[in-house]
Amino acid sequence: MKTCMVALLLLCLTPYFTWAQTKIAGLVKDDAQQPIPGVSVLVKGTKKATSTDLSGRFTIDVKTGETLVFSSIGFLQQEVEVSGNNLTVTLKTDSKNLNEVVVTALGIRKEKRNLGYAIQEVKGADLVKAREANPVNGLVGKVAGLTVGVSSELLGRSSLYLRGNNVNLVVVDGVPINSDTWNINPDDIDTYTVLKGPAAAALYGYQAYNGALLITTKKGKLNDKGFVVELNSSTQFNKGFIALPKSQDEYGPGEHSAYAFGDGKGGGLNDGDYDIWGPKFEGQLIPQYDSPVVNGVRQGTPWVARGKDNLKRFIQTGLLSANNIALSSATDKYNLRVSVSNNYQKGIIPNTQLNINNFNVSGTYNISPKLKAEAYINYSRQFSDNIPDVNYGPNSVIYNMTLWGGADWNIDDMKNYWQAGKEGIQSVYAEYQRYHNPYFMSYEWLRGHKKNDINGYASLNYNLVKGLDVMLKTQISTYDQLRTEKMPFSAHPYGREEGLGDYREDRRSMFENNTQLLLKYNKNVGDLFEISAFGGGNARNFSYNSSFTTTDYLNVPNVYNFSNSKNPVKAFNFNSKMLVLSAFYSVDISFKKYLNINTTGRIDKNSALPMGNNSAFYPSVSLSSVISDYVKMPAFISFAKVRASYANVKDPGLGTLEYIGATPLQTYPLGYGAEYTSSYGGPGYGLSSPYSVRPTFNNQTGAFYTDNLIDLNAVKAQSRTNYEGGIDLKFLKNRLGFEATYFRYIDGPKIIRQNISPATGYQTNTINGRKTQNSGVELSLSGTPVLTDKFGWDVLVNWSTYKQIYKELAPGETSVDQFFKTGDRIDNIYGSVLAKSPNGQVIHTSSGTPISLPVNQLLGHADPNWVWSISNKFRYQNFSFSFQLDGKVGGVMQDYVRLKSFQGGRQIETIQGKMGEARYQDYVHVNDPNYKGTWVGDGVVVTNGAKINFDPVTGVITNYNQLTFAPNTTPQLLQDYLGVFYGAKENTMMSRTYAKLREITFGYQLPKKLLANTFIRSANISVVGRNLLYFINSTYNDVDIDQYSGREGTSTLQTPTTRSVGFNLNVTF
Amino acid sequence: MAAATTGCKKTFEENFNNPNQAEHVPPNLLINGILYNMYEAPFSGSERWNQYTAANYFYYANNNYDWTGASLDYTTLKNVVKMEEEASRLGGEVAKPYLALAKFFKAYFFVKMSLKVGDLPMTEALKGFANLTPKYDTQKDIFKQSLSWLDEANNSLATLIAAGNKELKGDIYLKNDLLAWQKVVNTFRLRTLIQLSSRVDDADLQVKQQFATILANPTKYPVMDSMADNLQFVYNESFNKYPNNKDNFGNDALRYNMAGTYLNTLSALKDPRAYMVAEPARGIAEVNAYALTDYRNFVGASSGEDQGVMLDKVQKGLYSLIGRYRYYSGYTAENTFIIAYPELCFIKAEGINRGWATGDAESWYKKGILASIAFYGIHDGSNTVTFLKKDGKLGEFETYAVNFSFETDYYAQTSVKYAGNTADGLKQILTQKYLAYFRNSGFEAYYQNRRTGVPEFQTGPGTGNSQRIPKRFQYPDIERTTNGDNLKQALTRQYNGTDDINQAPWIVK
Repeated sequence: MKTCMVALLLLCLTPYFTWAQTKIAGLVKDDAQQPIPGVSVLVKGTKKATSTDLSGRFTIDVKTGETLVFSSIGFLQQEVEVSGNNLTVTLKTDSKNLNEVVVTALGIRKEKRNLGYAIQEVKGADLVKAREANPVNGLVGKVAGLTVGVSSELLGRSSLYLRGNNVNLVVVDGVPINSDTWNINPDDIDTYTVLKGPAAAALYGYQAYNGALLITTKKGKLNDKGFVVELNSSTQFNKGFIALPKSQDEYGPGEHSAYAFGDGKGGGLNDGDYDIWGPKFEGQLIPQYDSPVVNGVRQGTPWVARGKDNLKRFIQTGLLSANNIALSSATDKYNLRVSVSNNYQKGIIPNTQLNINNFNVSGTYNISPKLKAEAYINYSRQFSDNIPDVNYGPNSVIYNMTLWGGADWNIDDMKNYWQAGKEGIQSVYAEYQRYHNPYFMSYEWLRGHKKNDINGYASLNYNLVKGLDVMLKTQISTYDQLRTEKMPFSAHPYGREEGLGDYREDRRSMFENNTQLLLKYNKNVGDLFEISAFGGGNARNFSYNSSFTTTDYLNVPNVYNFSNSKNPVKAFNFNSKMLVLSAFYSVDISFKKYLNINTTGRIDKNSALPMGNNSAFYPSVSLSSVISDYVKMPAFISFAKVRASYANVKDPGLGTLEYIGATPLQTYPLGYGAEYTSSYGGPGYGLSSPYSVRPTFNNQTGAFYTDNLIDLNAVKAQSRTNYEGGIDLKFLKNRLGFEATYFRYIDGPKIIRQNISPATGYQTNTINGRKTQNSGVELSLSGTPVLTDKFGWDVLVNWSTYKQIYKELAPGETSVDQFFKTGDRIDNIYGSVLAKSPNGQVIHTSSGTPISLPVNQLLGHADPNWVWSISNKFRYQNFSFSFQLDGKVGGVMQDYVRLKSFQGGRQIETIQGKMGEARYQDYVHVNDPNYKGTWVGDGVVVTNGAKINFDPVTGVITNYNQLTFAPNTTPQLLQDYLGVFYGAKENTMMSRTYAKLREITFGYQLPKKLLANTFIRSANISVVGRNLLYFINSTYNDVDIDQYSGREGTSTLQTPTTRSVGFNLNVTF
Repeated sequence: MAAATTGCKKTFEENFNNPNQAEHVPPNLLINGILYNMYEAPFSGSERWNQYTAANYFYYANNNYDWTGASLDYTTLKNVVKMEEEASRLGGEVAKPYLALAKFFKAYFFVKMSLKVGDLPMTEALKGFANLTPKYDTQKDIFKQSLSWLDEANNSLATLIAAGNKELKGDIYLKNDLLAWQKVVNTFRLRTLIQLSSRVDDADLQVKQQFATILANPTKYPVMDSMADNLQFVYNESFNKYPNNKDNFGNDALRYNMAGTYLNTLSALKDPRAYMVAEPARGIAEVNAYALTDYRNFVGASSGEDQGVMLDKVQKGLYSLIGRYRYYSGYTAENTFIIAYPELCFIKAEGINRGWATGDAESWYKKGILASIAFYGIHDGSNTVTFLKKDGKLGEFETYAVNFSFETDYYAQTSVKYAGNTADGLKQILTQKYLAYFRNSGFEAYYQNRRTGVPEFQTGPGTGNSQRIPKRFQYPDIERTTNGDNLKQALTRQYNGTDDINQAPWIVK
């Protein structure tokens, strides 16, 4: 801390222009030959000083023979006597006194060596080359204990999980923002800091209940030239699927091998809402959608697989193009940075795209040596005319092509998608009941998105006396969003079967202000200890307003206006307000080299909680001790630290919502597609018990009283207590580092909606009760196996595990829901299973159909057993190469695509091996009245006529002793058998174990010599790749498990994840 | 300063209140919701368990009787309690019709729930916080109390009608007409008494006596007089479409077919309702060269048949499909009865047949049949019946003229002609009642089968439960985990301690 203060002082005293003596230029690098910015350079014995810029360069006026002193936190101070007018200095890492400074809660910088809790930092620069459009997607594998459910959808929310819990809080420069992070440009980010647990986050209140992601933006830095212009340009192409369902193209649509087109909606033979269980493509004549009609009779035309590879031909190469230009400048008086960026994505589904423009300014002005003003504002504009909706259903191109579309039609024939003479009214497709023409969907059924996001702050810092500062900071986070849906005539998703078009507007507006007053105090008390403390208050003012309006069919096609609604317009709106008043403090006491104690406290008074109980206190204490500072260690140990912490944080639980949908407190009126959720963090009114009203009969209104009981005098914020301990070691002169953390959360009593006897008149009772325990370990190993001037190799390995169980049930509760008992994992997945004989064979009915147990059974748990990542960085002279491998081991999930493709007949395994033979026989015998099928299910039947009895509670068979079994011999048609067999969830469960080659960057730094006579200071060009390889049990290669980081029991439909390959150019002027 | 502090405090705490929803509503909004919840849609699981239609496509539905936890109506009953509260807040004459009808609703929903499972919490139920673990009342007590509520409802309504009370609003079924409601109340009371036919000798319940009293005094106990008095759900094209309609024809075209228990009975009786509700099985007609209107073409599948076999036969035209013209050509097919006049006629006939009351059973039997036949638009003389053309698309219909005379063609058959107040006569009444319950009145057809064995339900591998028709649903799982001690008592009292679907509840023991 002391060094830091000195550096700061020096910075302030550095005159920007010094009168000429001998001007020398220099470069400061670290052991790894990377430039070090911000190194203070002092002419010994004078007050002349400067500091290095972003690329480690400096210039200073100095006389030959004078000595320059280079100092920077974390490095050994070095003195160099000036000889020539060009100087390259390599600073050695300070192995004894490792002063890595990290950002902690409320943006306070602290030395990492003093912290008593786990914190991990990621450099922004590591995430802008092989980049993702959403910055948090790049964090996969970078931090032990952090997992990211990477959404591959445009504007899809990526879920960020810390220790298995969803992180709700993103903090930019010390102030919380309300965002899914699509509005933050990766190029503007200096560092990401992950506060892993409540101890780190106790100062932020309930929003940091699950930890927090802190983002520090780039700032202008002192520089000899006066300004720096940095340009970063990335182009990546998305092509080549890493996870794609393998479909059969031998059999077309229909049921039981029969199909004939009539009108595409039940007028033919299985021509509406069909499966892909129709006739084999053998060129036989079958009436089809485009067959000629002669004298009113549709003729047969050859039945061939003209639509092989429809999906591959339909999907286009996606593009990510990100361009950023930033100008920064600084003097001792001010610093300023202006950044403009455009991020353009072209989706792999035709006519889908997303544009994000970001503009931000940040600056600091030193009004006087004591008074400093600082401000930052980021404006983001997102816009798209069409965002695809891949959610399962007729709204999804993937649903229409991968699962329920056959190879009987050719995608190229679908480009002219209006029927002749019915333009704007009726589209062309091979089916008209349930499915849609993909081109029609892409070019006519449009989902627009427009959003303005602003976040920023202004602050004043005043130094009252030495060691005492006061800061006033006010911050806003606000968005305004409009989403529209234009649904054309003849589109007919679930619930809109009349196909008369619709128009919808979804408007959301959020405003949040945090105003904070902070007092900071630092003092050394003699030689014994040092105190660093701060305290303050925060007022968070939140308001939200949304509306959702929809037509109920249109009168006139193509006029997307509410006045064109056929039936009365349906409109919904929602308003909310919240105020959170907080006071907090933090005291750090260092007993010199022996012990650091940090204690924090926060009180929140939250208007979303019931009046009598709306305050909550969050205490935390953490301890750390660098043993190597006072105990003599063996030579190979260069650093050893132990740490421990305790924290207790609270959460308003049902009082607030993290995300919000289109029609809060009311049923979402659409029966199809994904309901878009916005970042919210405001009141959910889950603790009030009012009436809901909704239209019942003939658009009249009925009222229904809430089904949730709540005693407002009894409910209070829920609690989490965390115990955490860890050890940080460094070996071999810091070439090898190891950090280990063990944590244990006790959550509860939570605010739960406990299911109660429906005879009370209510479904649930809102109480404080039930405890869960989450415990786990995080390990991080970093090393530099090779380090020479020319060649360097850095490696980072992260490993983590956690497990969450029910520790204590609520009073009067014998289980949670139907299944969970004390000690059970909370991520257990239950599902249907087939009845089995005592030796495990599937029991069939007398007609050869498998029988299911009446009660769901345990199928495994969702969370991984452990998560790992390895990243490597190699450097050889001006070349660099890095790659990251990461993955998870353990956990299960249902493969939904596998379920649907078996039931629907598109699954490739249905034409392979024994199944293929049975399917072929079923087809050959389609008209044979005596044919019963070929497929005989593997298993048994009950032969003695006894009835099977099941335990009504557990669902297991209770009378095995009365049953005799013989092998099942009754054949069935394959379609019927698979429908039942795979209908049992146990038969489509998959392991969640996978690995990915996440990213590769191959870079080249242009040699200095080449740029010497240009205005370019540095230039770096990289070839990058993301998601290049995906390793998974090949049976389940139809799901990209990476997108699921939560406790999903079942996968969803996904736009196929692609590999992306491209290049990056980074130039500094 | 003090004022500013209070002001600030008030604003802070006001933020807790939900500005989007109401804490009180007028009772007419609640009755609207309660009445809407009374409606039980056709084309549901219960329609298949009543063996009117069958599903041949596993992916959408099955005909399985592997019953688990029952769905109960306590949350609707809670809204009844809330309706009473909100009405009482308003007080006076405004409140009275709601308070009178609340009694009917309680009787209606407690009877409905108890028929599913047996004993249930009643006296200690619906108390919210005041009792989170309500004790179970016996099924007998539930019926006894419900009958008494119905008596009270009748009396209250009579008083209100006499006083000219016009305060009822929000009634989506009977135009806020209290007399019509009085008829519903008494008709439902007769249904409830008939449900107790196996307990007719119970001294506490006085089933026979109550039945006779109601029939004997129509002025004090008015009941439904015609189809105009039906409590029924009427569909409309924009908001409440009949579950089968032209929008979803393409989903269901071949996936549901007629069940044999129902359609084969119609065919055997040469009942023209078959033409109205079903398509002829063209595969049978073609192979045998039958005329299309030959009743031998009207064949339903056994609900016990394996679904794959059933689908195969449907594709080969060997089973009748659900009538396209009546059910799929528009949006409003037919009204769905909740309680209706034909049922009342058969209830009276059954009561008289059983000797509970005096009267002419045959006359009520015939009135019931005629009312039901008329509901399908069938009349004496030439009738037009409409089928989908061979390989036709929806809308491509063909018509046939069918002559019908109720007395000479239909009623003259020995199978139809009332056999007198005998067991055979009773079976005829129950058979016709089952036919009149087609696609309506919720689960009444199943309860009749359970109570009387009429009609005989078909079983097989497709009906699951090791080919047994279960006797009841299980209690909801949540009762076991949250009200376990009381449930255990009730199970011990009724079913030897196990929540077994194959054991009969008190009412049919």
